[in-house]
Amino acid sequence: MSGSHPPIVEARDIWRIFPMPAGPVAALREVTMEVSEGEYVAIAGPSGCGKSTLLHVLGCVDTATSGELRLEGRDVGALSDAARSRLRLEKIGFVFQRFFLLPMLTALENVELPQAEAGVPPAVRLNRARLLLDYVGLGHRADHRPSQLSGGEMQRVAIARAMANRPRLILADEPTGELDQATGEAIAGLFDLLHKDGTAVVVVTHDPSIAERAQRVLRMRDGRFVDRELA
Amino acid sequence: MRALAFAWRSLLRRGGRSALGIVGIAAAGALMFDMLLLSRGLLVSVRELLDAFGFDVRVLASEGIPQSRLPIEHALETARALSALPEVASAVPFRIGEAEVAAESERPDEVALFAVGATTRRIWTVVDGRDLSGREDDALDVVVNRRLAERMNAGPGTSLELRGRCSATPSILPPVTVRIAGVATFPFDSGAQLTMASRFEVLDRLCERPVGEADLIMVASRPESGPDAAVDAIRKARPDLYTFSNDEVIERFERVGFSYFRQISTALAIVTLSFGIVLITVLLTVSVNQRLGEIAALRAIGFSRHRMAADVLWESALLVGIGGLAAIPLGMALSIWLDAILRSLPGVPATLHFFVFEPRVLWLYAGLLTGVALGAAIYPMWLVTRLPIAGTLRREFVS
Repeated sequence: MSGSHPPIVEARDIWRIFPMPAGPVAALREVTMEVSEGEYVAIAGPSGCGKSTLLHVLGCVDTATSGELRLEGRDVGALSDAARSRLRLEKIGFVFQRFFLLPMLTALENVELPQAEAGVPPAVRLNRARLLLDYVGLGHRADHRPSQLSGGEMQRVAIARAMANRPRLILADEPTGELDQATGEAIAGLFDLLHKDGTAVVVVTHDPSIAERAQRVLRMRDGRFVDRELA
Repeated sequence: MRALAFAWRSLLRRGGRSALGIVGIAAAGALMFDMLLLSRGLLVSVRELLDAFGFDVRVLASEGIPQSRLPIEHALETARALSALPEVASAVPFRIGEAEVAAESERPDEVALFAVGATTRRIWTVVDGRDLSGREDDALDVVVNRRLAERMNAGPGTSLELRGRCSATPSILPPVTVRIAGVATFPFDSGAQLTMASRFEVLDRLCERPVGEADLIMVASRPESGPDAAVDAIRKARPDLYTFSNDEVIERFERVGFSYFRQISTALAIVTLSFGIVLITVLLTVSVNQRLGEIAALRAIGFSRHRMAADVLWESALLVGIGGLAAIPLGMALSIWLDAILRSLPGVPATLHFFVFEPRVLWLYAGLLTGVALGAAIYPMWLVTRLPIAGTLRREFVS
């Protein structure tokens, strides 16, 4: 189930039930999983199987209806909203399908943003933002706004932003969903690089070519894992 | 990036909408600023006008509006007795009347006539010729305002024929010929008013009132005593008279006479406040609803609810603050225009203003704008802080 390193995230018997007009819908059913430090995990499955919901629960942006979630050994369910926000800011990096870069900020400022929120001094965060943009191959586009970047470039900036506060875990929700094949491959290469550099990565994807790059692929159907295989 | 800088960038991003909000606040703010100037403007102006007379205490025989007040009998003797009080520097009996002066035109002109007992303290300032004197030979001297002098094409040394207007009708008494001693400015003159001041003898002859009657006695307190001590001393000496300091006169005006202006300005200020709050609330709510995905992503990244609320609050503060600053010169210009309209009404003294600036207006204005910024941000802040992160991200993905 997990790698040789201690787990960063441990989910035990997670249920996520959404109240709907036609009756409650269980998006996650008794899900148990771990992600170890530096591990690369892909979560695959058909639309509506609960992949994104699981990612949201793992990323502390959604709360499980029941079950236990631990991040670095801390019980996340016991934390206040402010403490969860701080945890996300410092320990988790998010990459979204739609990038969600702020259009009024340059690429550099977008990468600086989480660091500024974490209280990193301006000179330090500027330097790190430049390093991160170089890391994702966009050092020369630092002063461009998102509207001046291609989809692939925007996703690179989003990955740099996710790495801004040196998180131990990157969560990516269909990161290549809005990119063409070649650009998607390039972005997948970046996740390989993050993993190689020691960051744990969990990617939710439809794309088998992305999933097959992971160490582990967890397949879901109807809110459950159906089988687990090591890549 | 701090919340203020972030909010500034957000406003620039939607420049057209932000400009619309700023213009709306500038317009509403200008009106609100003017209502604040109006709410106390007339009181402040009347206070300045009363102080300009050089007297700080008024003595009457009865209360009520000037037309229904009883006269003070033996006013000259009463004024002399009051002047002898250690708290009083000077007491001047006044009688207020009207007269007609024969003009070159067919209809005679009406003139406001202020008669005073012989004294050196005046409420007018002579700008040409000389003042009234106490000499017997000068009993029929008058000083006139500039408009009357120009109207009659007269100046110091010129004679005028006056006929009294007693009880609002021309007197049957024969006209009295008076001599212009000087031209003076009167603090209570309206733009078109013809004004004249004389000794009691002139009004006595014009209207045949009992000699020695006055409508009021105006008193100047000694600087070392002050008006309150003078009022106490006069009340003790003459409990049968009604004595008021300028402060008390203003207080009575504020309670009764000028409350209409305050009520009108309060009602209009509330309307403008509400308009400002609704305008900014709508703009911020639309803005928040258009970037729900972005806000959810920022929350996912680790921005706290508090921080997201602060962004919205700063946006509101910037819109209201910039619009509010722009409103001040706009409001000042508007108040000058409105003031000119109101001052052109007949009978309004030229030195009286309806819109008067006081430093406290700025503080009050800043406080009300702060209320607008806070009030306008409440609903969009609530939207932002209650936003479900996962649900919003899911909806963004599905859409």
